[in-house]
Amino acid sequence: MKKVSNNWKQAFPPESVGTEFFEEFAMRAQNVAAKVFRVKTAAEAQSVIVEIIKSCDAKKVVATPEVVSPLELPTILKSMNLNLYTEQSDIRTHADTSDVGIACVEFGIAETGSVCEDSLAIEQRLITTLPPISIVVMNSANVVPTIAAAFETISKVFDHGYISFITGPSRTSDIERVLTIGVHGPSQLVIIAIDEEIREV
Amino acid sequence: MSSNRNLKQEINEKLMDETLRGSLNRFAEAYPIARAKAYENVDDIDSLRNSVRDMKIATVENLEKIADQFEEQVTKRGGKVFRAKDGDALKEYLFNLCKEKGVKRIAKSKSMATEEIHLNHFLEEKGLHVKETDLGEWIISIAGHKPSHMVMPAIHLDRNQVAKYFSQELNKDIEPDIAYMVQEARIALRDEFLQADMGITGANFGIAENGATGLVTNEGNARLVATLPPIQVVIIGYEKLIPTIKDAVPILRTLPRNATGQLMTSYMSMISGAAPALVKKDGQWVEQEKELHVILFDNGRLKAAKDDKLKQIYQCVRCASCLNVCPVYTLVGGHVYGHIYAGGIGAILTALLNSMDDFKQINEMCIGCRRCTEICPGKIDIPGLIEYLRAKSVEQDGLPFGVKAVFENVLANRKVFHNLLRLASIGQKPFTTGRVIRHLPLFFAGLAADRSLPAVADKPFRDRVKKVTKKIDKPVKRVAFFSGCNIDFIFPETGESVYKVLQDLNMEVVFPEDQSCCGKPVLGMGDHETARKIAKQNIIAFEEAKADYIMFACPTCAETWHLTYVELFKDDPEWSKRVEKLVHNVREFTSFVAGEYDKIGRLNKTTGGQKVTYHDSCHMKRGLNVHTEPRQLLESAPGYDFVEMKDCDKCCGMAGAFGVKYTELSMPILKKKIDNIKDSGAEVIAVACPACMMQIQGGLDKQAPNVKIKHVAEIIAEQIKD
Ligand code: SF4
Ligand code: SF4
Repeated sequence: MKKVSNNWKQAFPPESVGTEFFEEFAMRAQNVAAKVFRVKTAAEAQSVIVEIIKSCDAKKVVATPEVVSPLELPTILKSMNLNLYTEQSDIRTHADTSDVGIACVEFGIAETGSVCEDSLAIEQRLITTLPPISIVVMNSANVVPTIAAAFETISKVFDHGYISFITGPSRTSDIERVLTIGVHGPSQLVIIAIDEEIREV
Repeated sequence: MSSNRNLKQEINEKLMDETLRGSLNRFAEAYPIARAKAYENVDDIDSLRNSVRDMKIATVENLEKIADQFEEQVTKRGGKVFRAKDGDALKEYLFNLCKEKGVKRIAKSKSMATEEIHLNHFLEEKGLHVKETDLGEWIISIAGHKPSHMVMPAIHLDRNQVAKYFSQELNKDIEPDIAYMVQEARIALRDEFLQADMGITGANFGIAENGATGLVTNEGNARLVATLPPIQVVIIGYEKLIPTIKDAVPILRTLPRNATGQLMTSYMSMISGAAPALVKKDGQWVEQEKELHVILFDNGRLKAAKDDKLKQIYQCVRCASCLNVCPVYTLVGGHVYGHIYAGGIGAILTALLNSMDDFKQINEMCIGCRRCTEICPGKIDIPGLIEYLRAKSVEQDGLPFGVKAVFENVLANRKVFHNLLRLASIGQKPFTTGRVIRHLPLFFAGLAADRSLPAVADKPFRDRVKKVTKKIDKPVKRVAFFSGCNIDFIFPETGESVYKVLQDLNMEVVFPEDQSCCGKPVLGMGDHETARKIAKQNIIAFEEAKADYIMFACPTCAETWHLTYVELFKDDPEWSKRVEKLVHNVREFTSFVAGEYDKIGRLNKTTGGQKVTYHDSCHMKRGLNVHTEPRQLLESAPGYDFVEMKDCDKCCGMAGAFGVKYTELSMPILKKKIDNIKDSGAEVIAVACPACMMQIQGGLDKQAPNVKIKHVAEIIAEQIKD
């Protein structure tokens, strides 16, 4: 899978990253209607995912290769009577009609409750934009305090490609300024932050 | 836009539009609270705004280099850059591109630059299928409306109206339920993204360092437009360029907070170079690089960058917060501004990017209250730029003949002017109705033809000076009083109070006889030539007075002296020097007296007595930055009990040509002020500006006759025994 950087970790400002910013990040993400789960292990993350998929009765799930193998998604979803798509062309064909998309994001930003996504790969973007429920997985130590610290990081890796901040679900206030969730993008954003490192660097 | 608009009629229609009024009213109430909340976790808003401004100033200073670098970096990463000098050039390029690539369907996300040149209309005429995908933009496109707000284009419509347009567009009955309508829009527009051959987006910023363009959105449509179609076109105005990746920080910390009261929008995307896309080949999805075209759009922007003042528009991040706080915009909405950009900044952008003729018709829709400048992330002096453009247009085309004649023959000649005012005092008797005009001389500019005359005092202040002047032994200071027209001819009692207070402080006060109008009304109409003549008379009069201080009890006059005189003579070394010397001595009355009282221990709080509240004049608070001092004086005045009122610093609604010409707009603004005064329970409303005094007095007469209005000078003068 294409990435802007395969090693975001080395780009974090050493003084300004860590779990100490997680609480504020989670609070602000929740303020904008994201659901946040913090878990210790990959196994716990797996059960959160299973729960979500059960509760929304998902029939179709799309996931990026990056998240599929460390969380062993085919195995944990096997018994669930659903289709899981993880290949690029399948993702393109099915993302629009899938119920859930699962992908990794690189870090959180405490100031705004945003997550930063390395969006270069087309499958990544399809998965986090098209299905109504978007699950993103991150490491709970990868939280920076401010937008400035986020750009400290980004400016080190961003030569070309595509980088996004995602802050809560898709929303609009275009009719009578009434806040309405889920216009073109997902109506639910679930952030799963895992304490242990699940991706190889 | 037709050049013979009946603006007054358009305004009246908007004022009668209950839906619009209700929605703008609620918005105007809710917005400042939402914004303040969003800034709770920003330590120093002012320095954040400074960093937006400074970064943008540095960019525009180096615009050509930065644009070149941007182009080079985009090109290096597989994109094509086209510099479009105007709408025609842009349209031609885009249409040729569509022809060449066989494009039939286009999905668009919001881009004001394309609306500026009515791009959709053009493409549709050429037979292309074009869809706006931002919900608000889609709504107004199917309604056939122009945007009425830069961020919330459909704010003028309510759910019932929207449901009607949806029903028409989707050919089925749509219930006016907002959540349901949003879902219907999601379904209806999904295919547009999936089937489009080309995606067109705008950009909130473009980074020269790596050629990336940034998009800030809430709905997620821009992400889809930038992701799905194999051809991507980005249309970006030169003003959106920034030098480095990190320079996006101040924009991203202010734009969402100011625009919608969000800490961050749902999506912020930065795209540098051609990203991968999937195209169908022989029934298979194949990954390939997108075709990326970045159109750098000029259309008047580069010319503005070369003008010392107008280059300020580069500091605009298009948050539209200046509309949200504007007393004029929040009354009438965006459509009366004619072109697509609304509000004060809209008037400026219309002048620069559309046409000066359109600007001329709407330039008076700013009352100069400066609420916008207080919150603008880029710290743009919006009312200042409007005045500047007005002056430019006057320079080019001149004033209407009658107005010019009055300015030259009456205002520039103090004696004639003052004689006329005296005549007015005699002539007005049968007509006095209590309604008065802010900048008095406008009456002579023929703008007040069908209105009652200003209530000119029987005896102007200049004729009372002798009686109130006391001989001071060993004065501590010599003070020359500049009364301004309003105090001289309408509120001479305020002048008497000023004398009393200053003389009580052991100061010698003089009134230079040759002083005249400060020139503000003439400046407001853009006639700098006459203003210079008037300013020179005043300068000579006050040089001769040889005083330690020049005292003002009218903030507008003080500001005109302090800032505008300097500006007026900046290309004239001799007069520039003379002005510099004098402005040094300019003092505003309330802040000056509060300082003196503090020194001698007279600023102690007292309680009990008549309830008094204070109205912050726009020029006083946001022009001179004086707001605590008048309150200190009121709090320490025995016999008065100071209370604050709601929206104490909101404009009272009458300023220069605006208040005279657009009574229909000025009156609702005034009514809100009077309501707030009544609600405060105050028996006395104190002001430190004679112009506000005139306006508010007019409102009190009709709506709250029991409340008295007094200049702060009068309240403190009452405390002094004769
Ligand atoms: S100065 Fe006041 S009236 Fe003029 S644009 Fe700004 S907010 Fe509106
Ligand atoms: S002028 Fe200032 S407040 Fe108005 S839209 Fe531009 S940046 Fe925002």
